Amino acid sequence: MSEVAVKETMLNFISGEIDATSDSVAIKAINLRGRDALESTAFPTRKDEDWRFIDLKSITRNNFVSVSSAGVKEAGDISDHYLPESLNTRMVFVNGVYNEELSSIEGLPNKVIVGNLSEYGDHDAVKEHLGTITNYENDAFAPLNDAAFKDGAFIYLPEETSVETPIHILNIFTDSDKAFYATPRLLFVGEMYSKATIIEEHIGLADNVYLNVPVTEFRLFAGAHVHHARIQRDSKQANHVSRPIAMLDQHAEYHSYTICLGAKLFRNDPRVIQNAQEVDFTVDGLVLIDGEQIADTHSIMDHRFAHGKSHQLHKVVVNDSAHSIFNGKIFVAKDAQKIDSFQENRNLLLSEEGTVHTKPQLEIFADDVLCSHGATIGHLNDEEVFYLHSRGLTEQKSRELLVYAFALESVESMEVDSVEKMLLEEVIQYTNRDLKG
Amino acid sequence: MLEIKNLHAKVEGEDIEILKGVNLKVNAGEIHAIMGPNGSGKSTLSKVVSGHPEYEVTEGEILFNGEDITELDADERAHLGLFLAFQYPVEVPGITNKTLLREAYNTIARANDREELDPLEFEDYLIEKLNVIEMKDEFLNRSINTGFSGGEKKKNEIFQMAVLNPKLSFLDETDSGLDIDALKVVSDGVNKIASNDNAIVMITHYQRLLNYIKPDFVHVMMAGKIIKSGDIKLAEELEAHGYDEMQKELALNGEAQ
Ligand SMILES: Nc1ncnc2c1ncn2[C@@H]1O[C@H](COP(=O)(O)OP(=O)(O)OP(=O)(O)O)[C@@H](O)[C@H]1O
Ligand SMILES: [Mg+2]
Repeated sequence: MSEVAVKETMLNFISGEIDATSDSVAIKAINLRGRDALESTAFPTRKDEDWRFIDLKSITRNNFVSVSSAGVKEAGDISDHYLPESLNTRMVFVNGVYNEELSSIEGLPNKVIVGNLSEYGDHDAVKEHLGTITNYENDAFAPLNDAAFKDGAFIYLPEETSVETPIHILNIFTDSDKAFYATPRLLFVGEMYSKATIIEEHIGLADNVYLNVPVTEFRLFAGAHVHHARIQRDSKQANHVSRPIAMLDQHAEYHSYTICLGAKLFRNDPRVIQNAQEVDFTVDGLVLIDGEQIADTHSIMDHRFAHGKSHQLHKVVVNDSAHSIFNGKIFVAKDAQKIDSFQENRNLLLSEEGTVHTKPQLEIFADDVLCSHGATIGHLNDEEVFYLHSRGLTEQKSRELLVYAFALESVESMEVDSVEKMLLEEVIQYTNRDLKG
Repeated sequence: MLEIKNLHAKVEGEDIEILKGVNLKVNAGEIHAIMGPNGSGKSTLSKVVSGHPEYEVTEGEILFNGEDITELDADERAHLGLFLAFQYPVEVPGITNKTLLREAYNTIARANDREELDPLEFEDYLIEKLNVIEMKDEFLNRSINTGFSGGEKKKNEIFQMAVLNPKLSFLDETDSGLDIDALKVVSDGVNKIASNDNAIVMITHYQRLLNYIKPDFVHVMMAGKIIKSGDIKLAEELEAHGYDEMQKELALNGEAQ
């Protein structure tokens, strides 16, 4: 007797109805699209090339319920997480739900919008751009966000406007009775020559299991400049699968920096699409993991037109039995000449049990390009450790300093003082744990 | 101050013996020079004394002010006042000279119940020490040895020595890679640091250095042992006749085993 194996979908790991139904035609269309895709898209297995190395057990052994039926706790006082630079440009989402009380939006330049997507469902920019660049083919995760999101951050910058203070999108996750899924959404539309800094944070307040599937969309028109920092400090039991995507028009600049500190399982698929000549973008990352954490970055730098400049420095520190995966694709289309693309993945392995998989993947169809890539996996250099040690520092302190130095460069690209300070403290905490070497 | 007795050391975890019975005694206020051909074990001796984990002491002892330090970690030895100026100073990207030196200075101060210096006091202290070696203050904020020229690295070692003010310093080929101007500056610096309370052991291949830093004793090291000791005349003899001659002569006299 032969049986056709029925493929599992995301829905196998979700309980209850997905109940989002927005009044906005645009959002509703995305919700419905998501529901269809959820049903028709197979959940990835180890047989799928892009999921070969990652162990998804911490997702598949769960049944995630919606936030409304998970018995989630209140956020309480979270003011410690506010950025002093963003006191009046802060949106707070608790488990994906917009919290107006904790948010503070004041004194924005004329016509700039920083607000809840659900209130701006009929805004032209939402109608035009929401969900247009996020079609991740055969993806089981983005559709969950599509299907279930109601709230979200909507940031709109009219032509030639700049928001001076960083816009802080603070996603807070609270303790809960049941494991839940949350669907933070962010749509950024920057018209010509607009400028902003976005700090997108994900913070787990407790140690509970949840599934965080954020989707962020950045549409930058000609000459728009955006600095986008993403800081992932989810609960150490959480699963975080994100889909950040950006599309750039001529002379646009998009510099993104993803910092991964939390979550049991982190899967990040950043994509930047060059939509016209002469753009400049960055897809940097810093991953500090230990224990049993898994962090997997599958990025795409998609050069479709000539004269693009792109940069990716992905730094990873692995301790204990943690596991890092990096797959960095660089696409250069046939007519995309004079692309200058740089990719480097540097891994620092602090333990015997840790694992690192790294794979650059270049698909270049143009002939006049400058693409460099490289990957290194190394331990702390014994001679460097001894040098510091011989000057009177304990061996542990010497190792700490070296790991700190390794991470420093990435932290310094945050450009927001309080964020840098916070991250340096995180790095110190990380290095204070046992560094086996 | 330092007394090394019948020191044998091998590469950790392997059967390669490098030091084969070194004896050396250094008193406060003295300057010693160790000369010897490539591969004779000079650097190994300095690393073993400073506690490098790559080597294992299999026999003998290293006494520092009467205390056997062979079991101490490198940092504990530094706290007692030992210092090694490396033959090949390591580049440490991402950590500035200033960061290292402040951490080192204060750690050593703490270990010796001395007052730590706060960042401002330390800055002043560093500037003062820069003068010893005529180094520009921009080096303070540069990553340790990273991108330094060969000569700058060597200077930086002596600068660190000046800052940490050790009791006993091994200077491993500090003169190699220095041009004549730098050699004078560095020698000058070392002479300023030298006092009746501290001691210096220089490792060198060249007699030239000894014209600028006058040693009280010169030792010749070969095949893991100090085979002959004397004064500055020994260095002159070496310069004139080379190591082979000296070895032959010793063999004739039945001194070398
Ligand atoms: N970790 C090691 N593993 C194997 N052999 C080693 C190791 N360290 C040193 N040696 C060997 O021990 C011997 C002594 O080396 P050392 O560096 O002490 O010599 P040296 O006298 O300082 O020479 P030079 O004048 O060239 O600096 C050499 O033959 C060297 O190859
Ligand atoms: Mg040597």
